[in-house]
Amino acid sequence: MTLLVGAFTIGLILALLALGVLVSFRIFGLPDITADGSITLGAAVTATLCATGVNPVFATAAGMVSGALAGALTGVLHTKFKINALLAGILVMTALYSVNLRVMGRSNIPLMQHTTLGTWGEDAGYSLLGDRGLMVFGWRVGAGEIALLVGSFVVAVLVAVALFAFFRTHLGTAMRATGDNPQMIRALGANVETHIILGLALSNGLIALGGSLLAQYQGFADAQMGIGMIVWGLASVIIGEALTGGRSLGLTLVGAIMGSVLFRLLVAVALRWGLNPNDLKLITALFVFVALILPGLLKKIRRPAQLTTVPSA
Amino acid sequence: MLTLTGLRKTFNPGTVNEVRALQGVDLTIEDGSFVIVLGMNGSGKSTLLNAVAGTFIVDSGRIDLDGHDVTRWPEHRRARLIGRVFQNPFSGTAPNMSIAENFALAARRGRPRGLGFALSRDLMGPLRDRVALLKMGLEDRLDNAIGSLSGGQRQALTLLMATWLKPALLLLDEHTAALDPKSADQVITLSEEVVARDKLTTLMVTHSMQQAVSLGDRLIMMDRGKVLHDFRGPAKKRLRAEDLIDLFDEIRRRELLDESAAAMLQSLYV
Repeated sequence: MTLLVGAFTIGLILALLALGVLVSFRIFGLPDITADGSITLGAAVTATLCATGVNPVFATAAGMVSGALAGALTGVLHTKFKINALLAGILVMTALYSVNLRVMGRSNIPLMQHTTLGTWGEDAGYSLLGDRGLMVFGWRVGAGEIALLVGSFVVAVLVAVALFAFFRTHLGTAMRATGDNPQMIRALGANVETHIILGLALSNGLIALGGSLLAQYQGFADAQMGIGMIVWGLASVIIGEALTGGRSLGLTLVGAIMGSVLFRLLVAVALRWGLNPNDLKLITALFVFVALILPGLLKKIRRPAQLTTVPSA
Repeated sequence: MLTLTGLRKTFNPGTVNEVRALQGVDLTIEDGSFVIVLGMNGSGKSTLLNAVAGTFIVDSGRIDLDGHDVTRWPEHRRARLIGRVFQNPFSGTAPNMSIAENFALAARRGRPRGLGFALSRDLMGPLRDRVALLKMGLEDRLDNAIGSLSGGQRQALTLLMATWLKPALLLLDEHTAALDPKSADQVITLSEEVVARDKLTTLMVTHSMQQAVSLGDRLIMMDRGKVLHDFRGPAKKRLRAEDLIDLFDEIRRRELLDESAAAMLQSLYV
């Protein structure tokens, strides 16, 4: 049960990663690899600040803002210097690896001894539920775990609601149109470059927030923790789209959260069944590969069938 | 008022692909004037519209629109003054967004976009009324993605979007060329209505002789990046399709002559 609750909690925290990837990849159509660096940056900044005794709320906000700046930098490289979006992301991600080591001063910062949002959440859980925790389906779950699960659920929902509201404002609608038809929105007076920079800042801010919360949940920040995160985020988004099947904004946002949670559960179950953790990234990459080509393949398979149904003259 | 002074633009200068698209265009268009732009392929008529819209910055010359020198303004800044309908029906609308959302974007053309709710009630009421006037049954489908509509419907909506806020200049770039005849007629009728109702200053490129003679109060014919003929007032009214075809033939003959002259010179001197 602890394994399950943990998978749920991490899934909800990494839903922020999925939402960030959703913004860059689906709304703007940009494969933004900055994510690998910015999720670690969020964790590194927050962990470093928490370790020096800074208020966790401030430390978390600082982590998020630093991720947003990294995303904005990728946006500037892409729009102002006309560097291919993929390459711009790779450049910033690579640079961030050094930045993260500089920020942390070493490759790993443990947070067990320090006050974080995680310890606040656990304390709140114990004071509300007591030491005995709760019985869930006949299993005893610790009060701290429950509190963190509820807390990450609240954060994921709040962020999704805020995103939903934002993308329905004048600015947010124009940013969606930037990804949909840049020529059209330019003719309607929007500065496409500014929108892309803003969008990548938003995306990486969310991803860094996810990294910040993840570090506080698992109790450490590590320079290696971001590797392959973009693919995990993509996998979540794709699972989410399959689950909701929705093209509407609200459904894709809900889908990203559900996708992230389901993905974590699948990973937890697979690891429990004896999957070698080293193979996890290979399998995830294969999964995303299949998910990306599957719609096209299905179309090809269906087309001959359609041809035969056309009545001959 | 739109004033073009000595506009020049060369694409790919100094290469084998060099195209001298605009070679000194001077043109003044009074407020409320509806100008048809004709010309053969490569005559520079679309380039002229794009130069005015700001798709690229001209090499030399000056563009004044509505009292502003917009020569160096980027495209998105000029959008405050200019409404556009493109040749491709897919260009003017965001396909995955709803009809209402597309109009919400158009209702802020060239204005700051804040954090106000895009689909406000102030927009939806007038929008439903205006779209109902199209008689396409779209007023009940405002939440549908615009990509699900036909090319003609999309072009009609793009025209409404471009003129939702009255533009100082309306640019129509062969906006019916990609449509079937019936849809093209609908969009042309709508264009006439909108331009007449709001007394819009309009620049319209077309390949249709019929549209060229029946629409507008002025007609310019372009050739090799310059304005070759300019008919206005009574002279424009008297124009018939046959006259235009004669003018095209004349241009074609001269080009043939140029080619044969070039061949002759080449055989004599090279």
